[in-house]
Amino acid sequence: MRVGWFTGFVLAIAFALSPTAAHAGGSITVAAAADLQFAMNDIVTAFRQAHPADRVDVIYGSSGQFYTQIRQRAPFDLYFSADIAYPQALVKAGLAASVPRRYAIGRIVLWSATLDASKLRLQDLADPRFDRIAIANPEHAPYGKRAQQALQASGVWGKVRDRLVYGENIAQTAQFVQTGNARIGIIALSLAMNPAFAARGGYALIPADLHDPLEQGYVITRRAANNPLALAFARFIESPQAKAILQRYGFSGTQPTPAHEAASR
Amino acid sequence: MGVGIRIRLALRRPGFALDLDLTLPARGITALFGPSGSGKTSCLRAIAGLDRVAGAHIAIGDEIWQDDRRGLFVPTHRRAVGYMLQEPGLFPHLSVRGNLDYGFRRAGRPTTVDQAGIVAMLGIGALLDRRPDALSGGERQRVAIARALLSRPRLLLLDEPLAALDAARKAEILPYLARLHETLAIPALYVSHALDEVARLADHMVLLGGPHGVHDGPLPQMLARLDLANEFADDSGVLIEGTIASHDDIDHLSRLDFDGGAIFVARRPEPVGQRLRYRIHARDVSLTLAPPEATSILNIMPAVVVAAAATDTPAHLLVRLQAGGTPLLARISQRSWKALQLAPGSQVWAQIKSAALLG
Amino acid sequence: MTLAAADFAALWLTLKLACTVTGLLFVLGTPLAWWLARSRSRWTRPVAALVALPLVLPPTVLGFYLLLAFGPHGPVGAATQALGLGLLSFTFSGLVVASILYSMPFVIQPLRHAFEAIGNRPLEVAATLGAGPWDRFFSVALPLARRGFLSAGVLGFAHTVGEFGVVLMIGGNIPQRTRVVSVQIFDHVEALKYGQAHALAGGLLVFSFLVLLAVYTSQPRLRNF
Repeated sequence: MRVGWFTGFVLAIAFALSPTAAHAGGSITVAAAADLQFAMNDIVTAFRQAHPADRVDVIYGSSGQFYTQIRQRAPFDLYFSADIAYPQALVKAGLAASVPRRYAIGRIVLWSATLDASKLRLQDLADPRFDRIAIANPEHAPYGKRAQQALQASGVWGKVRDRLVYGENIAQTAQFVQTGNARIGIIALSLAMNPAFAARGGYALIPADLHDPLEQGYVITRRAANNPLALAFARFIESPQAKAILQRYGFSGTQPTPAHEAASR
Repeated sequence: MGVGIRIRLALRRPGFALDLDLTLPARGITALFGPSGSGKTSCLRAIAGLDRVAGAHIAIGDEIWQDDRRGLFVPTHRRAVGYMLQEPGLFPHLSVRGNLDYGFRRAGRPTTVDQAGIVAMLGIGALLDRRPDALSGGERQRVAIARALLSRPRLLLLDEPLAALDAARKAEILPYLARLHETLAIPALYVSHALDEVARLADHMVLLGGPHGVHDGPLPQMLARLDLANEFADDSGVLIEGTIASHDDIDHLSRLDFDGGAIFVARRPEPVGQRLRYRIHARDVSLTLAPPEATSILNIMPAVVVAAAATDTPAHLLVRLQAGGTPLLARISQRSWKALQLAPGSQVWAQIKSAALLG
Repeated sequence: MTLAAADFAALWLTLKLACTVTGLLFVLGTPLAWWLARSRSRWTRPVAALVALPLVLPPTVLGFYLLLAFGPHGPVGAATQALGLGLLSFTFSGLVVASILYSMPFVIQPLRHAFEAIGNRPLEVAATLGAGPWDRFFSVALPLARRGFLSAGVLGFAHTVGEFGVVLMIGGNIPQRTRVVSVQIFDHVEALKYGQAHALAGGLLVFSFLVLLAVYTSQPRLRNF
C-alpha cells in the first residue's frame, strides 16, 4: 500500500511539473543545430501565427550531441541537424518516424568582428597577423569539417594549423570571434547574416567548391510519430514561407531532395 | 642589574580599570596576587609584548621594552622573556629535544646557559626523545619550564603554572620551581591566586584587585599588614623564615630560629642550618596576659600588641603583634579583646597552635 | 578501449595544468588563507565570500566573464596586450589563470580551517621563545597545518583535473595547449567515439575515487567536503 501511495505521489508531481499538463493545445520540442539560431526563431514565430494555441520549444546545440541524446531517448520531437548524416543514422537505428529530408544547404564564411573581412580570401589567413583563427571542431562539428576542407583546398591548412582555436559548435566559434578573442574565424553564413553580426566587421563567402556541401537535414523522431503538431511543423518547413526565411539567412538549396540522393553524394 | 623592573601601565576595559606603577626587585620571585579578573594575566601579556597597552612603560634593568612616549615598542620575539601558562604549550610537532632547542637556538646571544644543568635540574633527561603527547601533565610542565629557561630570559613570566595540575602533580612541580628560585638569578613574575604557592615561592608581592588599589612590598611584610589581611580572608597570617638550629630525636622535634624568637616544629629531615619557610595563620594564634603554665601548646612567646583591626566577621578582630623582630597576626574575638582590656602597647603571650611548613 | 596519442597528450596536459595550478595556489593561497584566518579586518568577510564564489556559481558564469575579460576589449586582455603578452584566451596560461580562480576555494578553505585550528597560543609561545613573525609562520604554523595542506593540495589538484565548463568556454580546444582530458572526453562523445570516451572517463572516475579515498583515510575528521 505504501509503495502504491508513494508511486502515486511521484506521478502526481511529475504530472504537475510536465510542460504539457497545463497546456490545452499540442506541444513539440525541436532540437536545432546552432547555425539555425536566428533563422529558426523567425520560423517558429511564423508558425505560431497559424498555431496560436500550441507550444513550440526550440533547443539549439551541437548536431552530434543531439544525436547522442536522441539515441538515449531524449524528448525531442524534431531534429534539425547541420549534417544530414546524423538524421540518416537515426533512421538506421530505428529512432525516426520519417525519412531524413534536406531543409537547406549551409555555407561558410570568413568573418571578423574587428576588421572588414569582406575582401579577404582564405589564402590571406597565412598572414601571421591573424594570430588566432576560430573554426568549429572538425572532429565532430559539420561546419568545422567543411572549414578544414576549405583551408586544405586553399593550400593554407599547414600554415594556419598552429593558430587555430576550436569551438565546440558553430555558435561558440562565432562567439570566440565576436568577443575578439579570435581575430577571425570561419562561421556559418546564417550567423554572419544576422543583423547583430553583420553590423560589425564584414564577411567573405567561401566558394562552395572548396568543401563538401553542407547538406542539412531534419527528421521526425520516433516519439513524435503520432504527434500531429510535429507533422504540421515539418509541413511548415517545406512551405514557401519557411523557405523564404531560410533564404534570408543565407541558406540555399532549400528545394527538397529525396534522402537517397543526399546519401549517395 | 640592580635597577630592577619598571612597569607602568594603565589597563582600561569597559567596567575595568587598573593602574600600575611598580618598581620590582631585579632578583627573586614577585607574586602578582589577586582574584580572577583583577588583570594579572593582562599585565603579563603587556610585559611580554603580546598585547600593546597604549601609554605603557616597561623596562628591565637598562633594557627598555616599551616606552610609548618615545614610540618605542620591542616586539615579543626580541624581548628576552620566558612565558609559562597553566597549559604548557609544547609544540606537538617537535620532540622534547626539539621543543627545548626551539628557544635555545633563537636565544641569539652568545649563550652561556648550562643546557645539561637545566635538563638535569628539571629531571627531564630521560624524556628528550619523546613526543609531547606521550608525557604526563607534570612532565610537560617541567619541559615547558626548561624550554623557557633555555631561551635565556632576563625575566620569567609564570601565569598560574600549577593551576591545571592536581595536588600530586603540583607537589611534583613545586620543588622544581623552588629550586629555580634558589639557583637562578632570573627574576620572575608569578601570577597566582593560591596563597600557599605564593607564600612558598615568592619574595615580593603585588596585590591586585583589592578595594584599596594596588599594593606591593616584600612578601613577609605584605602578609603581616593589618590593612591587607582581609584580602587573604581565612588564610591571613604571617610568614616566618628561619634556620634549623637543632634536632631533638627523643621528642621528634626540630628547633627553628628566626629573628626575635624560636619555634619547635615536627622533626625535619633537613640538616641544621637549612633555611625553611613556615606560615603561622592568624587563626592559630591565641593570646594570654600571663605566661600559661599548664598548656599543651608548645610554642609560646612574649609579644607586644601593635594594633588591631576589624575583620569581615564582626565577632573577630585581627591583632598585630611584634615578637622580637618578627611580626605576628592573631585572630581573637571582640569579647576577648575587651575582657583582656587589650590596647596597643599591651604585653601579651602569643600561643602558637601550629605552624605550616611551606613545601 | 586503448588510448590514442591525443588522449595521452590530453592526460599529460591535464597533469601539467593541475600541478601548475596546485603549486601556484599554494603560493597565492597560503598567505590569503592566513590572512583570512587571522586578520580582524572587516574586509575578511567580503574577501572570503569572493573566494568562495566558484563553489556556488556555475562554471559558465566564470567562463563567460573570463572570455570577455581576456578578450582584446576586456581589462585583462588590454593589460596583457599592453605588456606584449598577447591574449590569454586559448592559451595554457589562460587556463592556469582560470583554474586558479576556479579551484581557489578548494585550497583556501582547508588551509583557512587549518590555520584557524592552530589558534594564537602556539604562535605566542614561539614569539616568547624568540621567533619573529616569518620564523613563527614557517617553524610553527606550517608544520601544525600540514594536514590542511595535504587536503588543500589534493582537493585543488583533483578539482582542476575535473574542471570542464570554464576550459570549454575559454580554452579553444587546442591539442597540447588547452585540450584537457575532460574536453577530450566531451569531444569523443560528440564524435561518437564511445570506446575512447570510456577509456578516459573510466580512468578519471577511478582516479578521482582513489584521490578522495586517500584524503578521507588520511584525515578522518575532514567533514567540510
